[in-house]
Amino acid sequence: MNWIQALLIVSVLALLVYLLRSRGSARSKAWVKVGYVVFVIGSIYAILRPDDTTVVANWLGVDRGADLITYMLIIAFAFTTLSAYMRFKDIELKYARLARAVALQNARVPEQRG
Amino acid sequence: MVCVDDGSRDDTDEAALRAGAHVVRHPVNLGQGAAIQTGVEYARKQPGATVFATFDADGQHQVKDVIRMIDRLSADDVDLVVGTRFADPGVVSRIPLAKRLVLRAAARLSPRNRKLGLTDAHNGLRVFNKTVADGLNITMSSMSHASEFITLAYENRWRVAEEPVEILYTDYSKSKGQPLLNGVNIIFDGLLRGRTSR
Repeated sequence: MNWIQALLIVSVLALLVYLLRSRGSARSKAWVKVGYVVFVIGSIYAILRPDDTTVVANWLGVDRGADLITYMLIIAFAFTTLSAYMRFKDIELKYARLARAVALQNARVPEQRG
Repeated sequence: MVCVDDGSRDDTDEAALRAGAHVVRHPVNLGQGAAIQTGVEYARKQPGATVFATFDADGQHQVKDVIRMIDRLSADDVDLVVGTRFADPGVVSRIPLAKRLVLRAAARLSPRNRKLGLTDAHNGLRVFNKTVADGLNITMSSMSHASEFITLAYENRWRVAEEPVEILYTDYSKSKGQPLLNGVNIIFDGLLRGRTSR
């Protein structure tokens, strides 16, 4: 197995565990920000010295830097999709509770008969 | 009797009110799980409410089954009585073959169903006491609520019994029922359950 294969598999699993374990705590939000800063620094570096991505790719057993970036993009995309899905579920639940509160406030009682 | 109108646009709520039901109306359509939670939350606020039943409004359930389940609840000292359409010698409903296979497989494959000894994964007929009503917190708005109900029973250690019931598969109830493919959604929701905030 190539290093890149191991790395990709581990990242996918790590992201999944991260996503499923931590639910919007202050700490995980902070890590997202740290990750974003690292991403920005890395991107700027890659933009300034594109050939260096190929060097890094070669360390990992990938031929071209462009391929490495594609792989990373796929992981990022999967992560974004799943986290959007989870957030959507959270919002859906809040929405249901809001609608329920409205429904319970406006409950209608039948007229007493007999 | 509480009728939960899940945001329908016809005169369902008026008809139910005239028939003598308490009507709680969702301002928007949320799904069956959300409707059951709403109905139970309304019912458990009523003073003196001790026994609760969920009953699908599509005509598939029988009132005589509910009465028997209420008797069972008090006689057997359990918290929750769930209907099953797969009671071996008892009542036989004419269940479409594909549906029978999927539902039986779902009940067998679910570890919680097995531990509680339940044979029907998705029966809409349930009778339960105030303990269950107060503890009920269904977060799956969609059809996945049936498995969530069982999960809650398992987590809260409610004592569960099963009662054979008859399901009428009329054209109307079939048109209102869920397609089998929805099982995929139910499994997926089950895996993600508890990952979202409560």
